[in-house]
Amino acid sequence: MTHRSVEVPVIARVEGEGALHITVEDDEIVDLRLQIYEPPRFFESFMRGRPYADVPDIVPRICGICPVAYQMSAIHGLERLFEVEVPERTRELRRLLYCAEWIESHMLHVHLLAAPDFLGFDSAIEMAQRGFRAEVERGLRIKRVGNDLLAMIGGREIHPVSPVVGGFSKAPRARDLRALAPRFEDAIAEVLEVADWVGTLEHPAFPRDAELVSMVHPDEYPMNVGDLASTAGRRWTADRYEEVTRELHVEHSNALHSVFTDTGEPYFVGPLARINLNEATLTPAARDAARRAGLAVLPEPDPFASMAARVAETALALEDGLRLIAGYEPPEPARVPVRPRAGRATWTTEAPRGTLYHRYDVADDGTILDAKIVPPTSQNLRHMERDLRGFLPAALDRPDDELTRLCEMVVRNYDPCISCATHFLRVDVERR
Amino acid sequence: MPRVRVIGCGNPDAGDDAVGLLATDRVRDRVPEDVEVVTAPTALHVLDLLEGAASVILVDATRTAGEERPAGTLVRVEAGPDGLPALRSSLSSHGVGLAEAIGLAAALGDGPRVVFLGVEVGDVRMGAGLSPVVEGALPGLVDAIVDEVAAEEARP
Repeated sequence: MTHRSVEVPVIARVEGEGALHITVEDDEIVDLRLQIYEPPRFFESFMRGRPYADVPDIVPRICGICPVAYQMSAIHGLERLFEVEVPERTRELRRLLYCAEWIESHMLHVHLLAAPDFLGFDSAIEMAQRGFRAEVERGLRIKRVGNDLLAMIGGREIHPVSPVVGGFSKAPRARDLRALAPRFEDAIAEVLEVADWVGTLEHPAFPRDAELVSMVHPDEYPMNVGDLASTAGRRWTADRYEEVTRELHVEHSNALHSVFTDTGEPYFVGPLARINLNEATLTPAARDAARRAGLAVLPEPDPFASMAARVAETALALEDGLRLIAGYEPPEPARVPVRPRAGRATWTTEAPRGTLYHRYDVADDGTILDAKIVPPTSQNLRHMERDLRGFLPAALDRPDDELTRLCEMVVRNYDPCISCATHFLRVDVERR
Repeated sequence: MPRVRVIGCGNPDAGDDAVGLLATDRVRDRVPEDVEVVTAPTALHVLDLLEGAASVILVDATRTAGEERPAGTLVRVEAGPDGLPALRSSLSSHGVGLAEAIGLAAALGDGPRVVFLGVEVGDVRMGAGLSPVVEGALPGLVDAIVDEVAAEEARP
């Protein structure tokens, strides 16, 4: 029996660690366990007993990478329960905020995580040192457009423009937002170049059946609003989320695994699921980017097409963002009055990594009695394991380091959240 | 542009992982006004914060794998032209760690001089407070940052 531990970092950030254990016996996988650390459970209990108005300040702490998503699922759910109607302009400003988060998250994933894999580099550092510096810089330049927009409307200043139940703490000025427009225009041109480049990258093919899940909306590519749908024809709404799907406790992981309640089968969420279920609402630049990145024909369930889907969605977020900036007028009022009432608040939004479900049980004075948060990474966990089981048999003859790289690529297609799920993947292959 | 920037990194809700943030907060009143003191929720934010400063002092919690250092141990590492080799793990995959952020800034040619100051952590469970041993190390870490700032300011 051989056992080898492949990953021993000298020092690592202590948040979020992941490990993959594979046991191989006579060239067959006899055991495969993906372990991922997940903090939402702590925050769920942390919110019990607190006033509803604290929730938008607490939930962004769950994830340093997608704080907007956490705020948006919470705020929309509570507003629906409290029967709060916000102005259309508030809705548009929230969509703009979400666009910024998609831009930032997707460009980071494509350039710093996925591209080095596809090009055979250990990291973006090596990639930049060995001939791809311009590509890395271009990716970071596009990403920075998202950062700067977020800094303006998400609020990292002393008196931030922050999202609250009822709208925003205050509205950004139109001329501040409009100053960003030329950079959005440049970034749209650049992201199409990224699409051409991604289209040239070779990647493994992994055609396999899968049920993909995303929100859908008749008039806009889904971010904040929409029903849920699957590629197998299911259709439901967030208030039935816990009925249609359920979370399994798995012994080897403190994260929960999501499956459909009726079939017990896993599903997967994220950019590839969104683009498959929402082709009709892609913007022209997004359609162009998808085609140029190699995602010309939908449906395409191959998980290795996820990188192309992220590029297409970046184009969409930039183009939609530019439209929203051009038409922006401050919402009035920035914050509408809210009167809490008792009941259950449920909502989903489309985080960069996929559908994010929140549920809050609220007392009549607005105190949070119970909270439940299902992040995209935990919905995808079981499907990641299924993909690994499906993909690995053909690769078991490879040496451990190559096998490790392939495992990482399979898992990376899902872009498991860096801080809310996985920081690094330690792969143990035990051969018997 | 600030000549020296102090960046505290960490998770305020995860026990000893907050040590870098707490130390940075305590340092604000003890460094000259032209020194910028900021915090970063993730290493990714550090990547953005490496721009536009001549020197960066990065403060964070650390954990050694392999040869164990006792919790509370102060760690100081200077980044070389290729980043922080001692912090680098070539297989670090699903995130961009501090080492990668610094290495990338160096590879792109606009990286500042970086000194890393850390404390070896014990309990990093969500919701845990600072462990007594790491709390005991905190004043030493704060002093180390102040000294490091003075040394950077004195550089020609």
